[in-house]
Amino acid sequence: MEKNFQEEEFAQVIKFTPPLYQQRYQFVKDLVEKYKPKKVDLGCADCRLLWMLKFCSCIEVLAGLDISASVMQEKMHTLSPLPFDYLQPSERSLTVTLHHGSVAHKDPCMLGFDLVTCIELIEHLEESELKKFPEVVFGFMAPSIVVISTPNSEFNPLLPGVVLHRHPDHKFEWNQAQFQSWALEAARCYDYSVEFTGVGHPPTGMENVGFCTQIGVFVRKYPQTGECVQYEKPTEAVYKTVFKAVYPSLKDEKYLRNAVVSEVIFTAQNIKHHLMSKHEYDDDPERKSKFQPSVDCFSDCLGKLVVDKTMEPFVSGNEVYIPLATIFSFPKVNQLCGTFEKLCKLIAGKVTLSSDGSAVVFNTEHE
Amino acid sequence: MTGRARARARGRPPRPAPPPPVAGNPPVPLALPGEVGERQQPQRINVPPQPPREPAGLGRLRGFESVLQERRPEGLRVSSGLQDLCLRDRGGRRRDYHDLGVNTRQAMVHVQESKTGLSGKMIKLTSNHYRLTSRPQWTLYQYHVGYSPEMESRRLRSALLFQHEEHIGRTHAFDGSILFLPQKLRNRVTELFSRTRNGEDVKITVTLTNELPPTSPTCLHFYNIIFRRLLKMLNLQQIGRNYYNPGDPVSIPNHRLMVWPGFTSSILQYEENIMLCADVSHKVLRGETVLDVMHSIHSQVGEQGFRDTCAKELMGLIVLTKYNNRTYRIDDINWDSNPMGTFRKSDGTEISFLEYYKKQYNIDIGDPKQPVLISQLKKNRNVEGTVVLIPELCSLTGLTDKMRSDFNMMKDLAIHTRLPPEQRQQEVGRLLDYIRRDDNVQKELGNWGLSFDYKSVAFTGRVVQGEKIFQSGNMVEYNPQFADWTKETRGVPLIRAVPMDNWLLIHTRRNHDVANTLIQSLYRVTPSMGIRMSRPITIEVDDRTEAYLRVLQQRVTPDTSIVVCILSSSRKDKYDAIKKYLCTDCPIPSQCVLARTLSKSQTIMTVATKIALQMNCKMGGELWSVEIPLKQVMIVGIDCYHDTVTGRQSVAGFVSSLNQTMTRWFSRCVVQSRGQELVDGIKACLQSALRSWSKWNKGLPSRIFVYRDGVGDGQLNTLVNYEVPQFLDCLKSIGTDYSPRLTVIVVKKRVGARFFAEIGGGLKNPPPGTVVDTVVTRPEWYDFFVVSHTVKNGCVTPTHYNVIYDGSQLKPDHLQRLTYKLCHMYYNWSGVIRVPAPCQYAHKLAFLVGQSIHREPNLMLSDRLYYL
Repeated sequence: MEKNFQEEEFAQVIKFTPPLYQQRYQFVKDLVEKYKPKKVDLGCADCRLLWMLKFCSCIEVLAGLDISASVMQEKMHTLSPLPFDYLQPSERSLTVTLHHGSVAHKDPCMLGFDLVTCIELIEHLEESELKKFPEVVFGFMAPSIVVISTPNSEFNPLLPGVVLHRHPDHKFEWNQAQFQSWALEAARCYDYSVEFTGVGHPPTGMENVGFCTQIGVFVRKYPQTGECVQYEKPTEAVYKTVFKAVYPSLKDEKYLRNAVVSEVIFTAQNIKHHLMSKHEYDDDPERKSKFQPSVDCFSDCLGKLVVDKTMEPFVSGNEVYIPLATIFSFPKVNQLCGTFEKLCKLIAGKVTLSSDGSAVVFNTEHE
Repeated sequence: MTGRARARARGRPPRPAPPPPVAGNPPVPLALPGEVGERQQPQRINVPPQPPREPAGLGRLRGFESVLQERRPEGLRVSSGLQDLCLRDRGGRRRDYHDLGVNTRQAMVHVQESKTGLSGKMIKLTSNHYRLTSRPQWTLYQYHVGYSPEMESRRLRSALLFQHEEHIGRTHAFDGSILFLPQKLRNRVTELFSRTRNGEDVKITVTLTNELPPTSPTCLHFYNIIFRRLLKMLNLQQIGRNYYNPGDPVSIPNHRLMVWPGFTSSILQYEENIMLCADVSHKVLRGETVLDVMHSIHSQVGEQGFRDTCAKELMGLIVLTKYNNRTYRIDDINWDSNPMGTFRKSDGTEISFLEYYKKQYNIDIGDPKQPVLISQLKKNRNVEGTVVLIPELCSLTGLTDKMRSDFNMMKDLAIHTRLPPEQRQQEVGRLLDYIRRDDNVQKELGNWGLSFDYKSVAFTGRVVQGEKIFQSGNMVEYNPQFADWTKETRGVPLIRAVPMDNWLLIHTRRNHDVANTLIQSLYRVTPSMGIRMSRPITIEVDDRTEAYLRVLQQRVTPDTSIVVCILSSSRKDKYDAIKKYLCTDCPIPSQCVLARTLSKSQTIMTVATKIALQMNCKMGGELWSVEIPLKQVMIVGIDCYHDTVTGRQSVAGFVSSLNQTMTRWFSRCVVQSRGQELVDGIKACLQSALRSWSKWNKGLPSRIFVYRDGVGDGQLNTLVNYEVPQFLDCLKSIGTDYSPRLTVIVVKKRVGARFFAEIGGGLKNPPPGTVVDTVVTRPEWYDFFVVSHTVKNGCVTPTHYNVIYDGSQLKPDHLQRLTYKLCHMYYNWSGVIRVPAPCQYAHKLAFLVGQSIHREPNLMLSDRLYYL
């Protein structure tokens, strides 16, 4: 974001550490940690804030909206899942979507969000757009929380080189009173409460100018009155989706099945090796003492289980039988499946089982 | 790798003169000045000097100037090389993996008209090449973009320029300095004005510097960049150089492996067309983290040797991290540090790894006491230094040597990765389908005026005549389709059988029976081969390395013909010690056998036969031969081994023929540490090879063919401009009246091209002996493909031969035949192999020295195949 770039330059004189844009992002991140919203929507520009938020484990839906598609496209690939995400799919689901459009328009894809942030956005709006903005955000989207940040013009004299506005594209920059009266009016109109804060402390002795960036946090006063409000006026889609990434998640049956099958076979093989090496190394007590904790705990786990005779793995001819019940009692498998029935269902057809379906069977011959 | 370092060094100033005009360039007679300074190579022989490659990021502006100064008349631009090419791929360092701009054919008059052979039976083939087509009169417009005042940040430069999309259009490729457009701007020079967010006014000057025809090398690079854009649009993940589809993984839970299907691709100028060569690639990823691997190593080896084993198994591996899309190489493990340790952030504050990952990525590190991994950043990325990685957050990619030697694992993998021809072509077809079906991709292609032929190219190849195998005057009948004569040569006497007198057999007490079985079996198989065998001196030893060595020191005499050691495990240290002693201090051929190999009664006869043959070769025996019509010929094979673990040593194996029938080979090798020139050593090898040849043949060879393997992508230039002149120079130094005809052929096994024979309505592997020298070869080279071997499952990979220097004046037919013949002469395999035998011998030698011996073996052994 060139704005970030620019403010870092300012920082040479009035020094903000960390840089002001980071403080703004951190502010949003802290807010997310506090309220744990599941769905977040933002004016996103270079996607940096979205990228930061994708690591917040509470968020399941992230959406970005910007008027400039090319700015979004420049960095949108940073929002794609990483190879690692595919290798070890996470517990939560996450979908990231980027839309091209204006905050002055209503689009149904913006409905149902918990948190909407508009960081350094409103000062870029033309007067006509600014007029429609409260209706779109507070009236139409109506999330539980809205965060709006904008420059505080009272701070500008402290920033060298700023003649009129901090950025040539700014249509206006408000002082504290202007922002607050606009915010209070919007809050009153749409039944929100608002608190004012900011980032970028003024130098000592000049506290009255206020924060460099002023922020309003709006919280909806009453819980959603039901879906009828949202859908009373069906709106046509006006935004264009420019990017969509669905993160692999264990909530998706495909990934869960893969993870379970892989874990079951791995566990079963471990048990098998354990069983076979017990035959071979029974005469070698030395070996045992060398085992490190993780394996000790493995054999412990196995030891505890085989108290019950039906859960004991056994060898019959060329085949090793490892009861599913034994495998299910391993914490990782257990955690993945939850119930024994689910385990059976997930591995059906993917793992060779005994004729009654109660045990995993390995053939020892080819080894 | 020194070759690369050299290539880089050569990319720097002084800038060589522009290449001489191509057309009608007469062959310059070899006028070599007697004394050759080490580093002032080019312009000495009839290989034209090449423009420097790899203009680094900083050289961009310089490159631009040269374009302006050296603007050539229209017709010659195709050969203008790469000096005007600077467009960088986003974020990446540009490297020329395709050896563009190395034009060797123009210096070889006899293949100027045609480099295709005629002999053999025609065969209908298809390949994995797809034509790239462009609109008629298609031109790519190259502009230089200048900023006043100068802007440093590339992003800022892009942002300022793209404010003027109404002028330059929405379709563009820009690297911060060079702008490519599909259409011409109205004026040659366009001035645009932008304002930065600081309110600074900037003048942008967009100047037309070049109008590029579709075949210009710059365009080729441009196509590749655009193609990578397309792959990204298709949501494929880039890992290393290739792109993979993570949405459709194959998991192999038995081994905790995951295989991602993907594609390798390159767009190049081929004989008549620009084509996309696309092949299936598989990325093996591991479902476990480095920490998991450490745990399982610990459970296998225990506390003792844990660190050593970790180092051995993990170092050199490539890891992916949980939090970004980068790959790192593990260069070291720091056992004294852990995630609780701190580092200094760029803003100067100190933070622990635990805190950092929590704060930055919301990742909780579970084990705060794990060691940390160290990755060395590459020097040439402008950033130098080390990166610290947390094992728990790193996932391994690829296979380790240990995994590769796990037969079961490789078998399970092969099911997914070794696709039969039909299926392989279908998979590649899927990529083309994706491209055809995706609207965004089609739009991007359309904007640039490009499109693909969605059907792969079809052409005819030739299957050359099968070679006759001779053994002791008998011609052996075998089926050339199978390219194997194991059965047919059983019971036929060898050409030269060396008697097994005075030989040692060393084994442990436990393997006493196995040793006896081996002796008995050898007694049964040797008579029919014509090998006279007497009872070995058998010695029992303890199963310790020192015990083996002591016995060797005490019992091996200069009269000992060969030493056989039966080893009870594949422990490398024991093998290394034995080989080292018997190859350097006490030069006697040796044969190590694993006891396990001899323990199966069903296979013991086959095994004994192979051992007998191998031992015989090591003692200087000869097995079979093919007809070699050329007389007075010396064939040379060169291959390299690079120590990937320590990265410190490289070994070049050098093998040369000693006799007319190519049944005996002289060998030497060059062991060199980093930074040394390989070729200096090779020169010395060539000299001693010629000495040996003259001893055997009473005279010097009139023709020398060098098959050079082990040449990395992008190193061709170095070879042409440095190594070949050194070879010539070396020959020159033998004597003033000696001027043999030298031919240098670069052998490449790892190529993207795959050929499929259309047989019976389906696609099959082409039969052995298939030669391809049209359509999918490169116009600027004298090159051809040979499919010499067969595979049981999967697709056969053709071997690419690039004749970079040819003084032989031999017809392409004859050179192709000679190459194919040599693929029959590898004595460790009674069949045809993928490369000429000398290359495989050189490979074996370099591998043995690089892995086990680490210095040049004793020259007493140099006339035998002791390294088999």
